Amino acid sequence: MESQAIAAIAIFLVIYALIISEKIHRTIIAMVGGIIMVAVGIVDQEAALHHIDFNTLGLLIGMMIIVSVTAETGLFKYIAVWAAKKAKGSPVNILIVLMLITAIGSAFLDNVTTILLMVPVTFSITRQLKVSPLPYIMTQIIASNVGGTATLIGDPPNIMIGSAVSELTFMAFINNLAPIAAIVLIVYIPLFILIFRKQLKTTPELRSSIMRMDERELITDRKLMYKSLTALGLTIIGFFLHQALHLESATVALAGAFLLLVLTGEHTMEEAFRKVEWTTIFFFVGLFVLVAGLVETDVIAKLAAQAIEWTGGNVTAASMLILWMSAIASAFLDNIPFVATMIPMIQEMGNMGIDNLEPLWWSLALGACLGGNGTLIGASANLIAAGMAGKEGHPISFVKFMKVAFPLMLLSIVLSSAYIYLRYLI
Amino acid sequence: MLTYAFNPDIIYITESNNDGDVEFFIRFVVEAPHLEKFKEVQHYFEDNEVYTDALFYAYENHEYRVIVRSDYYVEFVLQLMKHRLVEQVQWKE
Repeated sequence: MESQAIAAIAIFLVIYALIISEKIHRTIIAMVGGIIMVAVGIVDQEAALHHIDFNTLGLLIGMMIIVSVTAETGLFKYIAVWAAKKAKGSPVNILIVLMLITAIGSAFLDNVTTILLMVPVTFSITRQLKVSPLPYIMTQIIASNVGGTATLIGDPPNIMIGSAVSELTFMAFINNLAPIAAIVLIVYIPLFILIFRKQLKTTPELRSSIMRMDERELITDRKLMYKSLTALGLTIIGFFLHQALHLESATVALAGAFLLLVLTGEHTMEEAFRKVEWTTIFFFVGLFVLVAGLVETDVIAKLAAQAIEWTGGNVTAASMLILWMSAIASAFLDNIPFVATMIPMIQEMGNMGIDNLEPLWWSLALGACLGGNGTLIGASANLIAAGMAGKEGHPISFVKFMKVAFPLMLLSIVLSSAYIYLRYLI
Repeated sequence: MLTYAFNPDIIYITESNNDGDVEFFIRFVVEAPHLEKFKEVQHYFEDNEVYTDALFYAYENHEYRVIVRSDYYVEFVLQLMKHRLVEQVQWKE
């Protein structure tokens, strides 16, 4: 192996270890890693820019703008309270509807945003019912990761895969991943009720206090809500049609975001830009350049050749290896750098003769997204929700979460294995 | 102990104990501009970093229930005072 490849691997491993250690913010570390790759000449600046996937970045920024404006309108609180009333104030039914709202929300919005919107309203509803918020928050964490699996825009791994592989359109993600995401959720519902049943009890008086609430009061800005819903609706329609329109998903998301800003004006723009998670955007930039170092020095090609050797070029074995490896890795590591490394590897496996890559892509998406449910550190949304709960006097420890979530994650991967095998491999 | 007084021709406030927290029931006799002022109190508590300091529940006819954590009781009353929803606040032995 030539010296540049060894240097690229060394830089990558040190940076990866520093990201895992969480001693310094992951964005700083990833950017430093990317800069080192360029500074020592492993990747020249032009190649580095070429490897940054601006479709992923544009899609993330566009959706962050739309969601941050929509969240200001009180719409999400309205939906949660309306659903709680439809559930007749029953703690069990409310657990199910809030979980479903979180899953659907996460399919179309970023998981962290969905959690940030759902957890405060969960505190409010559970306080009224005098039940513990923990079952609700834990089920919402798990639902956000399952729901995010269902669409191209639901979870960063899917955004990255969709951007890297042009044939995998928004509709392709829904057609291939939404059915298994729905199956996993349906299987989870009775298990959640079984696990948390003792904590889901209240009195008829407290239930009636939910029924008397006036959810219309929760809408803070009706005009802004209509504008946001128009932009969000058109953006989602745009995603469904992006292939027919010959537009990348980032163009659709940015068009929706800037249509909304045209409708709402300069003040909203400044507020929306402040709420874009620039740390996440730069984390992606650093990672793309970091992985570019491995691609440009043929390290990824060698890893792909090794994977083909291990699996004997068998698609079934490769799919299962990717699914389970992604799931276990994503339960303990950040799934974004993992997927950033796996994408060029799978592409290289295609160059080396594996002609049916489709099951490999879906295995990667399912493993990386559902694997995030394994532990509290498996996804950013998990940590944010646990942090919010802890701050309000309801701590969710690593072990407490893992006891419930890890077996459920394994169950979802077993279901995914069967799904991948039955749908693509026989 | 913090006590407060309000004008019953404008607003009606009662409070009770709710599992160690304080539950306020608030009804507006005259809505404008007091209801808007009350919304500002609500925004103050909803926009800060603490999610459970004061939880607001709206009912028909602009009636509200607010469950205030005991450690935020003073802050809540002072916010009502700041927005002129109560007329007098006083420490009493």
